[in-house]
Amino acid sequence: MFDFNIVTQWLDTLLMSFLPAWATVLIECVLVALAIITLYAVFAIVMIYMERKVCAWFQCRLGPDRVGPWGLLQVFCDVLKMMTKEIVNFRKTDQLLHRAAPFLVVTASMVTFSCLPWNKGAQIIDFNVGVFFFLAISSIGVVGILLAGWSANNKYSLIGAMRSGAQIISYELSIGMIMLAMICLTGTMSFSEICQQQENLGWNIIRGHVPAVLCFILYLIAGNAECNRGPFDMPEAESELTAGYHTEYSGMDFGYYYLAEYMNLFICAGIAATIFLGGWAAPLIPDWEMWNEIMLYVPGFVWFLMKVFFVLMLLLWERWTFPRLRIDQLLNLEWKYMLPMTMALLVVMAICVSFGFIWN
Amino acid sequence: MSNQINPTIVAAAELHATLASLKAEGYDFLEVLTGVDWGEEGLGVVYSLTKTATGEMTHVKSVCADKDNPYLDSACDLWAVAGIYEREAYDFYGIKFLNNPDCRRVFLREDWIGFPFRKDYDESQNPEFFLESEPISDKAVCFTLAEDGKVKKTETPIFGKNDYVVNIGPQHPSTHGVLHFRTRLDGETVTKIDAHMGYIHRGIEKLSEGYAYPQCLALTDRMDYLGAMQTRHALCMCVEQALGIEVSDRVQVIRTIMDELQRIDSHLLFFSCLAQDLGATTAFLYGFRDREEILKIFEKTCGGRLILNYNMIGGVAYDLHPDFVKDVHRLIDEVIPHGLKEYHEIFTGNVIFQTRAKGVGVLSKDDVISYGCTGGTGRASGWHCDLRKLRPYAAYDRVKFNEITFEEGDSMARYMVRMKEIEESCSIIRQLIDNIPEGSIQEKMKPFIKVPEGTYYSAVEGSRGILGVYLESKGDKTPYRLHYRSTGLPLVNVMDKACCGHLLADLITIGGTIDYIIPDVDR
Amino acid sequence: MENKSYFSGLFSGIKSLCTGLKVTGRELFTKKVTERYPENRKNNTVSERFRGVLAMPHNENNEHKCVGCGICEMNCPNGTIKVESEMVEVDGKKKKQLVRYIYDHGSCIYCMLCTRSCPHGAITFQPEFESAVFSREALVKQLNKPGSKCAEKPAPARPAVAPKPATTADVTTPVAPAAPESDDKVAKLVAAAKKAADNAAAAKVAAEEAAAKAAAAPEDADLKAAADEAAAKAAKLAIVADNVAKKVAEAQA
Repeated sequence: MFDFNIVTQWLDTLLMSFLPAWATVLIECVLVALAIITLYAVFAIVMIYMERKVCAWFQCRLGPDRVGPWGLLQVFCDVLKMMTKEIVNFRKTDQLLHRAAPFLVVTASMVTFSCLPWNKGAQIIDFNVGVFFFLAISSIGVVGILLAGWSANNKYSLIGAMRSGAQIISYELSIGMIMLAMICLTGTMSFSEICQQQENLGWNIIRGHVPAVLCFILYLIAGNAECNRGPFDMPEAESELTAGYHTEYSGMDFGYYYLAEYMNLFICAGIAATIFLGGWAAPLIPDWEMWNEIMLYVPGFVWFLMKVFFVLMLLLWERWTFPRLRIDQLLNLEWKYMLPMTMALLVVMAICVSFGFIWN
Repeated sequence: MSNQINPTIVAAAELHATLASLKAEGYDFLEVLTGVDWGEEGLGVVYSLTKTATGEMTHVKSVCADKDNPYLDSACDLWAVAGIYEREAYDFYGIKFLNNPDCRRVFLREDWIGFPFRKDYDESQNPEFFLESEPISDKAVCFTLAEDGKVKKTETPIFGKNDYVVNIGPQHPSTHGVLHFRTRLDGETVTKIDAHMGYIHRGIEKLSEGYAYPQCLALTDRMDYLGAMQTRHALCMCVEQALGIEVSDRVQVIRTIMDELQRIDSHLLFFSCLAQDLGATTAFLYGFRDREEILKIFEKTCGGRLILNYNMIGGVAYDLHPDFVKDVHRLIDEVIPHGLKEYHEIFTGNVIFQTRAKGVGVLSKDDVISYGCTGGTGRASGWHCDLRKLRPYAAYDRVKFNEITFEEGDSMARYMVRMKEIEESCSIIRQLIDNIPEGSIQEKMKPFIKVPEGTYYSAVEGSRGILGVYLESKGDKTPYRLHYRSTGLPLVNVMDKACCGHLLADLITIGGTIDYIIPDVDR
Repeated sequence: MENKSYFSGLFSGIKSLCTGLKVTGRELFTKKVTERYPENRKNNTVSERFRGVLAMPHNENNEHKCVGCGICEMNCPNGTIKVESEMVEVDGKKKKQLVRYIYDHGSCIYCMLCTRSCPHGAITFQPEFESAVFSREALVKQLNKPGSKCAEKPAPARPAVAPKPATTADVTTPVAPAAPESDDKVAKLVAAAKKAADNAAAAKVAAEEAAAKAAAAPEDADLKAAADEAAAKAAKLAIVADNVAKKVAEAQA
């Protein structure tokens, strides 16, 4: 399998050969930042297009097909529109917090985005407590949402933000528990090692069989709730709160929320793919030499993206089927059903691992 | 069959006592309250009461003693719905209802001068266009009779100073029209709703007073746009019966089928919008996909999709389209059964919807009668209020169908009533569609239709309740007073009662299931 | 869910969610219902009864049926129609004549009171729905074409159809076409039938000629194609002629 480290190392040595260390680091940082921003924007556009098309198909519609062939240029036009729209400021908003909130949200989302392992060696943030870092950094987003709700000085926004706070904090517990269960299985918290292990030993969802499959399903539910997406989109709940916490945002300020929402979904699918479906690891089957040979020819990032889009399909399917939950149902689901279940799963997983009930 | 009514005239002083004794006699439902300006005779109101047990009606007329300062006793302690009806009469005629706790204007602006439905109203008092935004009153007005015989006005604030009041509307995705709920919240719990209406009031009743009868018909489709057929049917029937015209059997059957198609149309839209309000966008589009088939049938026969203009005084506008029978068969045998199955699978059975709807917004049978909530909302609480059974008209006496009622009175029951009624409507159509009798589709009418002097009342079962037409004629070619019993006004009025104590999200569910249509409230 | 136990409630809930997923999963692959307008405007038809815009049909001689009586204007609840007419002297008799028939599409509520009350069937609603324009003024239309006039009726057997104010006009009953008019129609149809038959004969002759040419030069593909085309045209025209003849027979009956 192609190792991306070769490229990064080559670049590093090249730069070091004629530049001082600080300049090398600076240039590398800029390059990485550019890569993140580009990927972030590109995938946001792909996701928005995909969401609109897939949701249309579920609903017996065709989806956007007026701008460009198959409506491919629709999202670009939307982005252009959003960027050129006036940003409206209201006198009674808390200007500083109001302007800062979207940046917090989008920053949190970008940093989590850079945790994703794209390929062997192609990971921007990778260290031994990667999972822990991911959980910690993804929680910053909720601060942005709360600030948005508070600073807008709008009643809808405030209710939306309060709901969002309650929701995200609750569901983070479940996600943490699921992560713990999976770390129990892998024995490491580093994303790159988790992927490497899955290439060598098989995907976690197969290794961990029943508890891992249940963890996967629960993760999808909790992840969806983390992203504030339907049926957990109470913070927005357009039929109750018009647009929830981002009611008072316009133009690109709104665009950041929009972007972050879609990218959070992507990240959620990416983490699910990494932890359960092997990340960039190809589906290798012991003793099938030919098969493995062919599979290894496919680059790791292709595998990763295929898995991510598979998970995204699942999330879209579910999002476009169910009605929205009510806030008390949402909290009931978390505290009465999800949390006990994930706790039980953690125990089951620990038992499985310690007694060796896993397929290697 | 004549629909002429002869209201019993009661002196203003004895009005309340008379109404109370009538209520004790079993006339427990105030079907409609009509304010009228009788010119020389003075201003007054006509109460139309119904016995819910038998459907029998009686009408009581009372004229205010003093024309310059008209007042009557309020009946809102007897029927909750009287409160909103009296506000309407106050708004248009300036009749003060003593002891009504909230006798504000309801449709017109707070700064409106004069009472426009009075025959001597001077239009020039108000500007042609108001250029300032509308002031919204924060104070409920109550009129009482002081000891010296003068009417005293007391004002009480509607909301307290520290109340957290959220505006649901007038521009809001789930108010089903331009309606404005000022909602007081305690956390997420709704503690009070003050409905503010009249954003799209067009004064159809006043306009009609200057129109010939066929012209009045043109406006009916624009009230309840999901009950266009039935509203028009009601007015046509009222005028025909007043004139003593019997329409042919063919017309009766066609009208019945069309009414039922309209009901299915309305209920499909009800399902779709409820799903949309609850965030199930996909179910919403499935409903609209199937509703399209009904609209196509309407378009082929009536030439319109929403504004149908089909019923005419003495008949219908066009004969049925040659494809009609085939299309309707396809609709009731394939499209609707398939659609219903899908709706039940994707939405009705869904655990999220079930928990959001069950036990939410419960209205008891006494509540719905007192609040005058007819139609599906009434039947969900166990009130047998279906006029098609109670006072059959058109071809309803020759078809077999079940009146769907539930006992729970919650959102789920209200939803299920409509879903089951779609099936019943299909069954009614199925019984009629293959043997539509031959006959003339239009009776010969005089060039100018002049309804003989008198007062008339006819009602049909609209898509969302009893739709009555009160017609007072002085023998002219225009009506002297035309009043519609709006199906939606009592439904909006009951929102406060149904929503208090529930969550903000439940307000949406309850509003969706109670199923009001604003153009019908703001006539 | 209150009255169910924890686990049965959980499982029935999951089951209901799966049923929902099944429905959407199935619909993902069904035929989509989106109307692809305007690509489909060729074969996308609305019902012929659809009320799109008021129109005054003219015949091939630029004649309409409107006599300028103004009954439609009186019946319109909205003041949408303005009929401007003048009195002219024809053969020593004073007669009302339509000058301009102004229709404000912007305020029309499509109630059909005008078309139903017209004693001459001069106006109809057309199923034309692409009415969007850039200004309100463009919605105000003159329905009678410039230079058009009221169709002359052949010396009427009963002159009673003459326009009078609405007192004699029947407001709600659709009026059957007057007798002289139907005679006129038959005559027109007969003429049309004759024309169609002539056309068909001419086409047949042309087709025979082309076929003969093609037979003379069997290698020439162009000639053969032309002959085929001419034959097809002749066949089509023959069918048209037949149809018209049938209509004539019906009308005469």
